[in-house]
Amino acid sequence: MVPSIDALNRRETIDGVLFALPYLLFFCLFLLYPLLEGLYMSLFEWNPLVPANSTFVGLSNYTRMVQDPAFWNALMNTIYFVVLTVPLMVILSLALALGVNREVLGRRYLRTIYFSPYILTVSIVGIVWSLFLTTEFGPMNYVLGFVMEQPPNWLGDPLLAMPVLAFVTNWWLLGFNFVILLAARQNVPERLYEAARLDGAGTWRSFCDVTLPQMRNAIAFVVIIQFIQQFQVFGQPYVMTDGGPNNTTTTLVFYLYDAAFSQQQFGYAAAVGYLLFAILVAVSYVNYRYIGGDGT
Amino acid sequence: MSESLLNSSRFDTDRLQRYAIHAGLYGVAILFVLPYIYMVSLSVQPTEFAISSVPHLIPPAFTLSHYSDLLTDSLIVQWVINTFIVATVATILVLVVDSMIAFSLTRLRWPGQSILLSIIVASFMVPFYVNLVPLFTLVADLGLVSDLLGVILPAVANPLGVFLLYQFFRDIPEEYDEAARIDGFSTFQIYSRIILPISKPILSALAIFVFVFNWNQFIWPVVVLQDQATFTLPLGLVVLRDTFTFQPGLTMASGVIAGLPLFVLFLLLQDRIIQAVQFQGTTG
Repeated sequence: MVPSIDALNRRETIDGVLFALPYLLFFCLFLLYPLLEGLYMSLFEWNPLVPANSTFVGLSNYTRMVQDPAFWNALMNTIYFVVLTVPLMVILSLALALGVNREVLGRRYLRTIYFSPYILTVSIVGIVWSLFLTTEFGPMNYVLGFVMEQPPNWLGDPLLAMPVLAFVTNWWLLGFNFVILLAARQNVPERLYEAARLDGAGTWRSFCDVTLPQMRNAIAFVVIIQFIQQFQVFGQPYVMTDGGPNNTTTTLVFYLYDAAFSQQQFGYAAAVGYLLFAILVAVSYVNYRYIGGDGT
Repeated sequence: MSESLLNSSRFDTDRLQRYAIHAGLYGVAILFVLPYIYMVSLSVQPTEFAISSVPHLIPPAFTLSHYSDLLTDSLIVQWVINTFIVATVATILVLVVDSMIAFSLTRLRWPGQSILLSIIVASFMVPFYVNLVPLFTLVADLGLVSDLLGVILPAVANPLGVFLLYQFFRDIPEEYDEAARIDGFSTFQIYSRIILPISKPILSALAIFVFVFNWNQFIWPVVVLQDQATFTLPLGLVVLRDTFTFQPGLTMASGVIAGLPLFVLFLLLQDRIIQAVQFQGTTG
């Protein structure tokens, strides 16, 4: 007997749902449910031990946050960190990508070297650089000792700690952007450069008129990805400075982590998470509108 | 005559430019390699040299005592095993469930699938920290605090793999399925004998990516794993650093142990790994 169209469709629907189900279980349980639960928790003074004894406080977790100077400090630190990392990382990786794209010796090795820190975990990165920069026996200050009376205490100085974290982050994550931009540069058709040369364009002109517009989508992609990533910085201050000195490296996620797991204020921490999410959505939207442009 | 002069001066600026580019690129490369040299070097020199006021990039004396101390006095072997379990199990689970749903979304037609796809794609926007607290209470309710499953299971919900595989599967021609159906293949056979074998390159790229990501995971294990015996390497290293403040060699040796497996993996598979990253860039 030949099965009817209806039966075939039903069969396909059943198969479709069965194949989707395993992932959907993970997705609903570990992503969607917490997302809604977090919004709910943010309206309570949450009791971590006996959730049933939590008290509903409405939006007061949010108002408390806006009134907390420590929150504003963390927000400003995070913005400062983003400003110190994202533009430099994108410009440097673009420069390296354009350099490696030329006829240089050992470009394959250079690519390997630039990319390699990206595969390290943040604790290796943080620990190695902390020791490298330590005042007691680090090679950095040993060398500086020849030219300076008092080499800086890199991670102990409130003015220097954040720039140092930004520098280390650049070292760690530059390669990710580098390989993406390198691929984008290699996809630019060479004939466009020949045409520009015939029109008498020099290096700078062909960079502005050919390279930048042609690589626009890739550049927008790394800017947005880096913005989202660096806004969530946590590991570097956790490993290298513990948020210090004087809370100058306390970032938003660090602040959230501290509120939740040092002070057990789950409802408040959930509210912090949600507010950050809102900021991120807003800024990504602006990014997308004004830089993303015709991409996607 | 004048033309040849012009040519030679032009040649010189070209050459100068070439030298400058090489100098810049290799200068940055040295900066990139220096911390590695320092790490390996400290890990094999006796502590009195490592903490002397004159640092040695090249070890003045050689010892493996930091490594043997680590093996006997720390939990590092346990941490290596834990990290390996987390990364391997997460990778296998992701490959299975992601390829199944991507198959369902691209090769089977059923009501509601396009809405589902947009929800999954939209969930990309959700930064991990939003879920940090509610996910912790959930994992605690499931009794998975200080349990490796508490690290593994939430990692499987990450939508990146679904999205990557969706794009790849979508471009496989329909004719393959039709031919297979005529030959009497069941839906499961089309999935396992047609689609999966064709998709080997993207599956292996995804596998490497998920493995590296989970090997290196930091903030979530910090929250979930509260018993040192259940730590993964990234957490263990911080404990060692804080315990052996004045034995940097020991800390560095632990860094070498934690970093080496991925480093070897990277050197062996670097084209694949870099392609996987570049693939994200071109499709994101």
